[in-house]
Amino acid sequence: MDLNDVIGYALRIGVIISVILIIIGLAFLSGNRDFSELVSPTSRVNTSVINPTKVPISAFSGNGLDLILLGLMVLIATPVIRVLIGIIQFAKERNILYTIITIIVFFNLMLAIFILPLFIH
Amino acid sequence: MLLTLLVLLFIASIIAGLLGSLTGLGGGVVLTPILVLFLGVPIPYAVGASLISTIATSASSGSRYLKSGLANMRIAIALELATTSGAITGSFLEYVVEKEHLFNLLDIIFGIVLIFSVIPNFMRMKSEVPVYVNPDGISSKLKFNGKYFDEALKKEIEYHGVRYPFGLLGMYIAGLVSGLLGIGSGALKVLAMDLGMNLPFKISTATSSFMIGVTAATSSGVYWALGIVNPIIVGVTIPGVFLGSNLGSRYLNKLMSRRLRQLFTLVLVILGIQLILRGFGIFG
Repeated sequence: MDLNDVIGYALRIGVIISVILIIIGLAFLSGNRDFSELVSPTSRVNTSVINPTKVPISAFSGNGLDLILLGLMVLIATPVIRVLIGIIQFAKERNILYTIITIIVFFNLMLAIFILPLFIH
Repeated sequence: MLLTLLVLLFIASIIAGLLGSLTGLGGGVVLTPILVLFLGVPIPYAVGASLISTIATSASSGSRYLKSGLANMRIAIALELATTSGAITGSFLEYVVEKEHLFNLLDIIFGIVLIFSVIPNFMRMKSEVPVYVNPDGISSKLKFNGKYFDEALKKEIEYHGVRYPFGLLGMYIAGLVSGLLGIGSGALKVLAMDLGMNLPFKISTATSSFMIGVTAATSSGVYWALGIVNPIIVGVTIPGVFLGSNLGSRYLNKLMSRRLRQLFTLVLVILGIQLILRGFGIFG
């Protein structure tokens, strides 16, 4: 399989897993009594009040909201994995220039996703 | 009432995904005003929803564009160098801007810039494929070449991107604007590739669609922490944009470039007006 195929599949699989998690999460939530409160456009439930490290565990215990959040995390991870596969493939092709470029892009992504939010209160 | 809201939200996101994948703009242009004007969603949540759903548009249309040869992987990654750096700078600058309350001014300025940026589009409105320009030094070293079969023209088109530094500058500004104003900035990506790098319009929009997910992912960390991502609103939009962008990416190659350019120009003007209105505090 060439680079484009691998990356194409990774993107497709990532987004499909994310959509499935979100739909299951919404289905679980719809039976909840607080659903209409949560759906309200002015609902105060947003990502600033959520601890990201706890999401995967409570998602697997069937918490609808956390299943949706896990879906969002998978979605955000999808382009990151796409860049990571790019590094591996370019390195395999011994394309040094593009390997370096892709590593810098990956570094930027990590900095933006994990380090920058620490400065926000 | 609740069901109506959810159904409208879902339909709006299908349209957003469809237009986002065809124009390379991501879809926030369509989603944000519908969410704010018709569904009463506060602007920050609307911005958060359109940013995150852009990743879904990009992933589902991007995989198809790679397969059909419309998205150029090398050009995308070489330019992402600048978009991600720009997005980081933009997120940092957001603090300064927030302190000084310059957001409205920035919205207005950027809105005006976007409306004027349709002028070169009008001049190229009839062109289907750009005139081949011999590759310059850097672009031939980076192998910005490719070919694709144009299904509307029924022939194979060979192309070579040029003026990489110009592309980098455009992409840096695109990333900066995306981090700063919370818009997908696909508009500047397409313009930089189309006007600056002399790429065919279909290659520009498809490669922008492919790239835009990485830019959106870059800004998503900060957005998540700021709390402008409402899981339910985003949750309903994502399956919608997924369907819409799957549909849109199936038809890109079948359409004439001038038709796509007309659509792109129209959406650009709408985005410009939208930003100016937001700047004057009229909408929202």
